[in-house]
Amino acid sequence: MFSRSSIRILAAALGVATVHGDPGDTEFFEKKIRPLLTDRCFECHSPEKKVKGGLRLDSREGWQTGGDSGAAIVPGKPDDSLLIKAVRYRDKDLAMPPKKKLSADEVATLEQWVKMGAPDPRTAASVAGGVKKQVGLSIEEGKKFWSYIAPKKSTPPVVQDTAWPRGDLDRFILGKIEEKNLHPAKDATPEVLVRRLYYTLTGLPPSAEEVDAFVREYQSPVTSHQSLAATVDRLLASPHFGETWGRHWLDVARFAESSGGGRTLLFKDAWRYRDYAIESFNRDVPFDRFIREQIAGDLLPAANADARNRQLTATAFLALGPTNYEEQNKQQLRFDIIDEQLDTIGKAVLGQTIGCARCHDHKFDPIPQKDYYALAGIFSSTRTLFNYTDNVARWISEPLKFDGADEQKFAAHEVKIAKLKQDLETAKKEAAKMKAIATKGNGEPGKSVAATDLPGIVIDDADAKTIGGWSKSQTVAGFIGDGYLTDDNRDKGAKTITFTPKLPKSGRYEVRFAYTPGKNREKKVPIHIFHADGQEKVFVDETLEPSADGRFVSLGKFRFEQDGAGYVLVANEGTTGFVIADAIQFLSEEDLSVLDNAAKPAAGETAKRDDADKRKKMDARVKEMEASMKKLTSEGPQRPTVMAVNDGGEIGDTQIRVRGIVAQKGAQVPRGFLQVLGSAKPKFSDKQSGRRELADWLASPANPLTARVFVNRVWDWCFGSGIVRTSENFGTTGEAPSHPELLDFLAVRFVEEGWSVKNLVREIVLSHAWQTATATTPGDPDNRLFAHANRRRLDAEQIRDTMLVVSGALDLRALGPNIGNAGEINANDSGAQNIEYKYEFTDVRRSVYTPAFRNRRLELFEAFDFADINATFGHRNASTVAPQALYLLNSPFVLAQAKAAAERALASSSPDDERLVNAFRATLCRMPTEKERAIFAKALADATGDHRTEAWSQIYQTLFCSLDFRFLD
Amino acid sequence: MNTPLFSRRSALQQLACGFGYMALAGLAQQQALAALNPLAPKKPHHQPKAKRIIFLFMAGGVSHVDSFDYKPRLLKDDGKMMDFDDARSLARTGKGATQRVMKPLWEFRQRGQSGRWVSELFPEMAKHADELCVMNSLHTEGVAHGPATLFLHTGTTNFIRPSMGSWVNYGLGTQNENLPGFVSITPSLGNGGPRNYGNAFLPAVYQGTPLGRVGQPAKETNFRNITPARSMDEAKRQFDMLRELNATQLAQKPGDTELEAVINSYELAWRMQGHAPDAVDISKESPETLALYGIGEDKTDNFGRECLMARRLCEQGVRYVQVNYSDNSNNPAWDQHSNLPKHGDHARAVDKPIAGLLTDLKQRGLLDDTIVWWGGEFGRTPYAEKNGTGRDHNPSGFSQWIAGGGVKKGFAYGATDEFGHYAVEDKVHMHDLHATLLHLLGLDHEKLTFRHDGRDYRLTDVYGRVVKDIIA
Repeated sequence: MFSRSSIRILAAALGVATVHGDPGDTEFFEKKIRPLLTDRCFECHSPEKKVKGGLRLDSREGWQTGGDSGAAIVPGKPDDSLLIKAVRYRDKDLAMPPKKKLSADEVATLEQWVKMGAPDPRTAASVAGGVKKQVGLSIEEGKKFWSYIAPKKSTPPVVQDTAWPRGDLDRFILGKIEEKNLHPAKDATPEVLVRRLYYTLTGLPPSAEEVDAFVREYQSPVTSHQSLAATVDRLLASPHFGETWGRHWLDVARFAESSGGGRTLLFKDAWRYRDYAIESFNRDVPFDRFIREQIAGDLLPAANADARNRQLTATAFLALGPTNYEEQNKQQLRFDIIDEQLDTIGKAVLGQTIGCARCHDHKFDPIPQKDYYALAGIFSSTRTLFNYTDNVARWISEPLKFDGADEQKFAAHEVKIAKLKQDLETAKKEAAKMKAIATKGNGEPGKSVAATDLPGIVIDDADAKTIGGWSKSQTVAGFIGDGYLTDDNRDKGAKTITFTPKLPKSGRYEVRFAYTPGKNREKKVPIHIFHADGQEKVFVDETLEPSADGRFVSLGKFRFEQDGAGYVLVANEGTTGFVIADAIQFLSEEDLSVLDNAAKPAAGETAKRDDADKRKKMDARVKEMEASMKKLTSEGPQRPTVMAVNDGGEIGDTQIRVRGIVAQKGAQVPRGFLQVLGSAKPKFSDKQSGRRELADWLASPANPLTARVFVNRVWDWCFGSGIVRTSENFGTTGEAPSHPELLDFLAVRFVEEGWSVKNLVREIVLSHAWQTATATTPGDPDNRLFAHANRRRLDAEQIRDTMLVVSGALDLRALGPNIGNAGEINANDSGAQNIEYKYEFTDVRRSVYTPAFRNRRLELFEAFDFADINATFGHRNASTVAPQALYLLNSPFVLAQAKAAAERALASSSPDDERLVNAFRATLCRMPTEKERAIFAKALADATGDHRTEAWSQIYQTLFCSLDFRFLD
Repeated sequence: MNTPLFSRRSALQQLACGFGYMALAGLAQQQALAALNPLAPKKPHHQPKAKRIIFLFMAGGVSHVDSFDYKPRLLKDDGKMMDFDDARSLARTGKGATQRVMKPLWEFRQRGQSGRWVSELFPEMAKHADELCVMNSLHTEGVAHGPATLFLHTGTTNFIRPSMGSWVNYGLGTQNENLPGFVSITPSLGNGGPRNYGNAFLPAVYQGTPLGRVGQPAKETNFRNITPARSMDEAKRQFDMLRELNATQLAQKPGDTELEAVINSYELAWRMQGHAPDAVDISKESPETLALYGIGEDKTDNFGRECLMARRLCEQGVRYVQVNYSDNSNNPAWDQHSNLPKHGDHARAVDKPIAGLLTDLKQRGLLDDTIVWWGGEFGRTPYAEKNGTGRDHNPSGFSQWIAGGGVKKGFAYGATDEFGHYAVEDKVHMHDLHATLLHLLGLDHEKLTFRHDGRDYRLTDVYGRVVKDIIA
C-alpha cells in the first residue's frame, strides 16, 4: 500500500503523462468543469479569494490533499467523494456552495467527471505549501512559558523594614513595595479587622460580644497576636468555614441543582455533592485528594463504605454541568458533555482553556487539538448518562452501599420489596395465563374476539387513526372487536392507518398484525414499523391464512421506549388488491412465554366455571399486592442515591473530530494528557477509562499548574484579587502574576505541607499584608502590590445571611437537602420542571443551601453578582447596577427583614439610644458616629405610637442600604 | 483585557448600570465618569440603517408552509407517503423516514402590490405584505426546542454565550439612562430561560431586563421592585435619610469612586421609579391606538398590550425589545405536533397586535429606523408527524420576516425545496441573520468581540455572512 503522501509524490513524478492522458478528458474538464469550479467554488476555495476549510480547488493537488476533512475527490468514486456529497446537498453539515445549490445538471456533470477519474490538467506549479501552519505556541516553546514550568521555592528578598514582616509571605510582599520606594498601609483597626476576619472565614458578621472580646484582647500588647491566632483557629474550626469556603469551590465547580439549558431537569441528589464540598473544607481534606475524588472517586480504593460513598458523591463534579438532555443528535450530546467536562476541569483545576482546542489547535496556548482528543478519549470511555439514546436523556443515579447495620436495614427492606415484586410478577403471570387460557390464547381461529380478551397490548382498528376513507367491514369473520377496516380497493396511495400503542415499559416487543384473509385481498400490503432504533417496512400477503393462531402474522421484534414515539402504519400505497387491517398486537417476552404455555384446551363446563372463579380471586390478589407494593416502597427506608459517573461505557481511544464536527472523524489518538505539562507517558488499561490516571496526573506535585492555580484562588478569596487576576486562565493570554516568586513559594509549600487548605488560609490571614487598612497607593491604582487592603463588596450570600442574622430569622441548620418533593425525575414528564418553575424561595437557611436552580435564581443572587451558575467562575464580578439599589429599596425580602429587626428592637426595653447602638453593631459591626446618631434621632423624634415600628423598619433598611453595610473594609 | 477584576479602575468601568450621573459629584467628575460609563451611547462601526430592534418571538415554531412559504406541491401530493430526510430521525438514527405529505391548512393568496404569498393564517399581517421582507430560506441548529431556542438567542445550542440583545447593548450603549437598554417582555423560564436574555461573560450592565414573567397578564406586568413599598411621603423620607447617611459615610472615605458609583445607583433607582412604570403604562394611549392593537378584545388584549409596551419602550430609547409569545412548557405555544388547527388560536392572538404595531410604527415615522423581526426557533415539517394531525420541528428550512429599518419592502428572499423542507436557494443560516441584523444596526459582526478567558468571542462564532441582498 502506498501512503497518501507517496501517492502524491508518485503522481507528481509521473506528472504530465497521467494528467494529460486523454485529450477528450481534458476537453471535458476545460469545457464543463473548469468554468463551474471557477464560478461556483473559487470564491471560497482558491488562494486569490480565501481558502475555507483549508480546501483549494484551483489545482489537482488542491482536491487531492483536500482540506480539514481530507481528500475532496476519490477519482472514479462519486459516492465516496466529499465534493460530490457536498454538492448533492443531502448532508446538513456538508452542503456546498452554501448560498445556492447547484442545478441538477451541474451536479450530474461533476458526478460524471469524478466517475471518469476526475481528469484535471491543472498542476501544482502555482500551488504553494500545503504545510499546516503553526498557530499557537508549539509544545517546545510552551514549555518555556512561566506557568508550564514547575514552581520553584526561592529565598524571600531581604527587606529594609525588618520589623514589618511576620513571615516569608510578608517579605515577598514588602520586597516589591520597597522596590518602588513605597510603604505598606497602616494596620487596620481591630474593629475593621474583626469584621473582615469573620466575613472572610465564615461569611457571617461577628456579634457585638465577639467584637468587644476581639478588640479588648487585640489592644493588649501581650495577647494581641496570640489572641488573633486563637480567633483564626476558632473560626477555621467553625462549621461555617466549610459553608463559606465550600461555596467558593461550588462556584468553581459550576454547582447547580438543575440542568438548565433546554429542558431543565432537577438534580435531586446534587445537594450531596454540595455537602461533600462543605465537609471537605471543614475536615481540611488535602486538596490533592479532593481533586482525585472528584475526577475518579469511583475508581479509587476505599477503606469502608463511608469512604466509598464520599468518593462516589464527589464524581457528581463531572455530572452536574448544564447538559442539554434533549439534544436529539445523540453523538453530539455525548461530545457536548465531554467538552463541558474538559472545559470545567481545564478551568477549575489547571487554569487552562482546553475547550478552545475542540475544533482546531489552540490559537494561543500550546494545546494541540490532538491533546484535546487524547483527554476526550478518557471521557468517551466514561459513562456520564444513564441512557444516551433516550429522547430526553438523564444522568446516573447511583445507589449507595453501606456497612453493617445500615446496609442490613436497606438490604432487608430491598429483599422484602424484591420478594413482593417477584410474588407480584408471578401472580400477574398466573392471572395473565388464566386469562389467556380462558380465551384460548388468541381465541379460536375464525371466531371473533374482543381486543381486551387478548394477551399483550392490542390496538383495535377502532382505536387507530385513519387517513383517507376506510370502511368498516365484517364480511370475513374471525376479526377482533366489531370488525375490520377496508380500503375498498380505492384511492391507492391516499389511505393510511396508524396504530399507536401505550407501552407499560421499555423493551423488545413482537409486533403482530391481525387480518382476516381473502382471495381478493392484496398480496403486498406495506406496513411501516417505527421503533426506538429506526423504522422498518414489511409486506404482508393478505390472501394467506395468518400464521399465528390463524389470526395474526408476526412483523418482527423491535425495541420500543415506554411512552415513546413508536407506532405502526398500514398503507395502501402501491397496492392493487383490497387492503384490510384489523388490529396490532404488541407482545413482550413474558407475554410470549405465557402464550406458549396456554395453548392447552380447558375441560368441561364445570372446570370453566371454576376457572372463572379462580381468575376473579387471582385478579383481586394482584390488586392487593400492588397496593402493598406501593405502601412498602413509599414508607420503607429509601436507599440514598448520588449523581455519579462510572466506567461502564466503551473503553478506548477516540478520534480527532475535524473542525469539532462530531461526525467528521479524523485520526485516532491515544488517551493522554496535555503534552506541554510534562512528558509523562501514562499507561492506560483497556478496562478503565483512564480517569484514575488523569486524577493522579492532575493532583501530582509535578503538575506545574494545579497547586499554583488553587493557591492563587485562595489568595483571591482572601484578598479580593489574585496574584494572577485571571484565575481561570494561566495560559499565554492570561495575566502574568504580580508576585511570581511568592506564588511559587506558596504553591511549593502548599504541596510540601500536604495540600492543607486551612494551613494556607491561616498563613494568609495572619500575615501583616492581609491586616493592613484600606487605602490608596500612589502609582498603583489597581493595588497590584497589595500594599493595602482592598475595599470589597459583601457578596450576595453575605448580604442575605447578614440580613437574616439581623432580623433574627437565620436558621443555622447545616447540610442536608433543601428542596421538598425532589424525587426521582421522569425526564419525559412534562411536569418535571414544575418544582423549579413554581418554587417559592421562602426558607431562611444560609444561602449556600438556597436551591441552586439554573433557570430560576433567587432574585437577590441575580442582582448581586452571584457568578454565572453554568460555568466555572472562581472570581466573582462586582457590578454596580440600579437593580441592586431597587432591590434594597423595594423588595419584599429586604422590607420583611427590616420590619422583623424593628420588631425585635422594640420588643426589648432598651431606650432608643441603645437600640440605635445595637442596630449599628448588628448591621455594620461598629458604633454609630455622632452625625449618624443625629440623622436617625430626627426620624425617631417624629415617630410615635404606631409609627415606631415603621420608623425602626426604615432605620434598619437604611442601614442595609448604606455603604458601610455593602462594603467590607 | 476584560477579565473582571476587583479594582478601582475596573469598578469604574462597571459603574452604575452606567445610566446614571453623579448626584453628589461635581460636573467635571460627572463628565469624567460619563466617559467611562459602559452604557453611554457608542459609535457604531458603520452608518446604521436602524437604531433599534423589536423581536416578536413565536416560541415553539410557526409552520412556515402554512403561513409564508407557499408550496403547491403539498396540495398536489397531500396524503402521499414519501421518503423525507426528517431532521429528528437523521439526528438520532442517521437515516430518513417515510412520512405522509400534509397540505397547508390555510389558503395561500398573493397580497398587495408586491404579490407576496401569505396564507389566511395571518390575514392582518397579510395586509402589510408590501412592508415585509420575508426570508424563506432560513436554517438553524438544534432539532429540539431548548437547543434551537438558545441558538436563536445566543448563536449556540450548548455553550454559555451572551444573548443577542446583550451584544447589541454592549455594542451600542443605551439612549436613555433611566431605562435598561435591553428588555424582554414576559420571557419564559423554559428552553434556556434566562440564558436567552443573559449576558453570560459580558459585564452585568448589558444583561436583558425581564419585564414580567411568562403567563403573567400583561396588565400586571412591570419592572421588578420598581414600585415603592411605602407611601410616596414615607418613601421619600426614607430615601432622604439614606442620602444623608451615605453622604456621611462617604465623607469618611473621600475619593472612592466605587462608593460614589453606589450612591449614584441609588439616585438612578430613585429616578427609575418615576420613569420606568410610565414607559410601560398604556393608559394614556388613545382609544384608536388601543383598538389598532386589539386591546380590549378578548383574544388579542394580552399580546396587544405587550406590543404596545414594546413601542413605548422603543420610543423612549430602549435599544432592543423582545416580545415573547411563549409559555413555560416543554411544548411551547406554536408547538403543534398534533392538532395543527390550534395554530389558528395562536395566530388570532398575535396577528392583529403585530399588524397594529406595524401600522402604529409607520404612522409615527418609527418604522424607518426600527427593525421589526418576527419568527420562531424553527419551522415545521411539510409532512404529518406520526401520520397524525400535526407537524414536527423543522430546523432545515423555514421562514421569518423583518420589516422596517432599512430592509427591502414587499420582498421575498431565498427558497426551500418544492416541499418546503430544506432551504436550498440563497440559504440564510441563523448566524447569517444575526450578522445581518447587527449590520443593520451599524455593527460589524466580526468586529463586535469581547475577550474572555483569553479569547475573542462574538455572536456569530466564526460564521455568518451579511445578507446584503435584503438590504434596501
